[in-house]
Amino acid sequence: MLSLHDVRKTWRQGDHEVVACDVGQLQIDAGETVALIGRSGTGKTTLLHIIAGILRPDRGSIEIAGERIDRMSEGACDHFRGRHIGMVYQTFNLLQPFTALENVLLGALFGRGAGGDAPDRAAALLQRVGLGERMHHRPSQLSVGQVQRVAICRALINEPELILMDEPLGNQDRQTGGEVLDLLLQMAREGNQTVLMVTHDPESAKRMGRTVDLATLRRVP
Amino acid sequence: MRLWSISLRSVRIRAVSSSLTALAILIATALYAAIMLMADQTRQRYEGSICGFGSVVGPKDASQLEIVLNTIFHVGHAPGLFRMQVYDDLRTGRIGNRRAKLRYAIPQARGDSFSPFGFPVIGTTDAMFTAFARGEVKLAFADGGGWQFGDTELAQLAQELAARETAVRQETATLPPPPQLRPEWRQAVVGSRVARALSMDLGAEIVPVHGKPGEFGSHEHPEAACKVVGILAPTNSPIDNSIFVPLGVHFLVEGHGKGAWLPETPPGKSPNDVLEVKPGDLALSAVIVDPLDHFGANILRRELSTRPDAQATWPADVVPKFLQQIGSIADVLAVIAWLVLFVAAVSIAVAIYNTMNERRREIAIMRSLGATRTQISAIILGEAALLSFLGAVLGVLACHLAAWALRGVVEELTGVWLDWHAFAVRELYLVGGVTVLGAVAGLLPAIKGSFTQVADNLAPNS
Repeated sequence: MLSLHDVRKTWRQGDHEVVACDVGQLQIDAGETVALIGRSGTGKTTLLHIIAGILRPDRGSIEIAGERIDRMSEGACDHFRGRHIGMVYQTFNLLQPFTALENVLLGALFGRGAGGDAPDRAAALLQRVGLGERMHHRPSQLSVGQVQRVAICRALINEPELILMDEPLGNQDRQTGGEVLDLLLQMAREGNQTVLMVTHDPESAKRMGRTVDLATLRRVP
Repeated sequence: MRLWSISLRSVRIRAVSSSLTALAILIATALYAAIMLMADQTRQRYEGSICGFGSVVGPKDASQLEIVLNTIFHVGHAPGLFRMQVYDDLRTGRIGNRRAKLRYAIPQARGDSFSPFGFPVIGTTDAMFTAFARGEVKLAFADGGGWQFGDTELAQLAQELAARETAVRQETATLPPPPQLRPEWRQAVVGSRVARALSMDLGAEIVPVHGKPGEFGSHEHPEAACKVVGILAPTNSPIDNSIFVPLGVHFLVEGHGKGAWLPETPPGKSPNDVLEVKPGDLALSAVIVDPLDHFGANILRRELSTRPDAQATWPADVVPKFLQQIGSIADVLAVIAWLVLFVAAVSIAVAIYNTMNERRREIAIMRSLGATRTQISAIILGEAALLSFLGAVLGVLACHLAAWALRGVVEELTGVWLDWHAFAVRELYLVGGVTVLGAVAGLLPAIKGSFTQVADNLAPNS
């Protein structure tokens, strides 16, 4: 499902070159749930952005569902991300002027389309995560846990093959976060979706099928 | 959900800035639309209104434009007076040596008005209803009919007035009795807009006011009150704003008699020093003449040019030149309006461009959801186009609202009664053009927005 080979990303800081991410090999099968751990500043978020096609690696190959996204044009990569990848961030990144339902539909708009049955699907997803009564509320009117659930619905609206999460539980208490994560994993299992989650929390990592330490992925010189 | 709904939401959440930007577009569009509306309607109105006024004979010392504007369009005051002898000469063929065939010659005397609207009260003869024609169509009545006061009555009254005036000037022992305002002359025919504006029906009373209401020295003439006997059908010309009364009423109104004599005066003398006045010495404001052919027109033009007291003006020559001047002014104003529009478009660009920094995260989030650079650009362009469209539509509406509110003032100044609810196809093009202009103005912010770095801006406070 997801295959990374010899991926490297560097930044320039003056005359110095800083290695932001260096991965020799990573293979994740369809339906697998993987926790990606590592010390701060080791490039976990950068790696997620590279997998999502938001950042271009300096070198290496990234294959998702049989497609080499590192070879795609920027526009094609955007389309691919919209249709095949769902993303959940630590800060959830909902758009404040839009309601919960509209935020979920935004995911559809830039993915498989917000027309047709998309509004019904979005409403059904929000119902499923217990936000049926609050779907017309704006993010500022929701609790942190509720906002996170909206973000999860937005990630799932296009039924993506791959879900990328960047410390999605970082902003809430462990119990609430755990419940939401369990819900997401259950929904992912139902759809045979692959989940890659960056986390610092060992408890969350335990809920995933496999844990990978980014340090162990470094390319052997 | 569609891209435009995101644009709309962006406009709504920046309500104050959006309103101010749209207001700039509104003002510029309203200005341009108003210039177009004025220019178009002035042209239509003026071109349509000269029909039937082949030539207007007026005083020698007035400008041709003044004579035409006052006689046909009721603009300003009558530019002067001339002797009724000119009318007699036209009517009897002495001018033109009987070779200039005229369809009609109709005398007019002005100076009075009626109602707060200042509708002009025009003294004339019944030829206005029996002979005057716009094209081939004579004036029709929506209600009632015309009064009777023809050349016979005019000649007899002029004779009596002249005899009386001469006796007064010569201080004869027994003065002839002053001519009386006959009851059958106290009648008025009003134009359609007069009737509509004043809710007038047949039988209503009109009391002429000397000058215009509110002017210094203006006063009512209750002795010359006339009953409305006819309401003209609409002509979409200044005739609709006119009140026609018999010329006899005008001459017999108290105070009109003194200044109404223009006898041939020896050098160094004033007209009041002349002891004998003739019927032809009565003063008129204009004579409407319609030559039957170009031949007659040329003779009239030539012969009147040699007369010391009157001149023939030709509305078909004067009005296009006047409109050309108006057109030139309108063109200059239109250029100014376009410049204002351009500035307004720049203000859109600046207003949206200035929001780009605070919107970097919003754009980055949309990009992370799969939005392409093109879609981001489309959202921002849509926002600019939406503001422009809104401003342009409101601008056109504001223009028509202003036309409604100011139509009285505009008529007073130009003689054009603005048809405020006449929307032109050009206004659709204007709205379209302004929308496109606004969208073009949004290009710079759109380009900036589409190049927002996604990864760097996904975290808050980045």
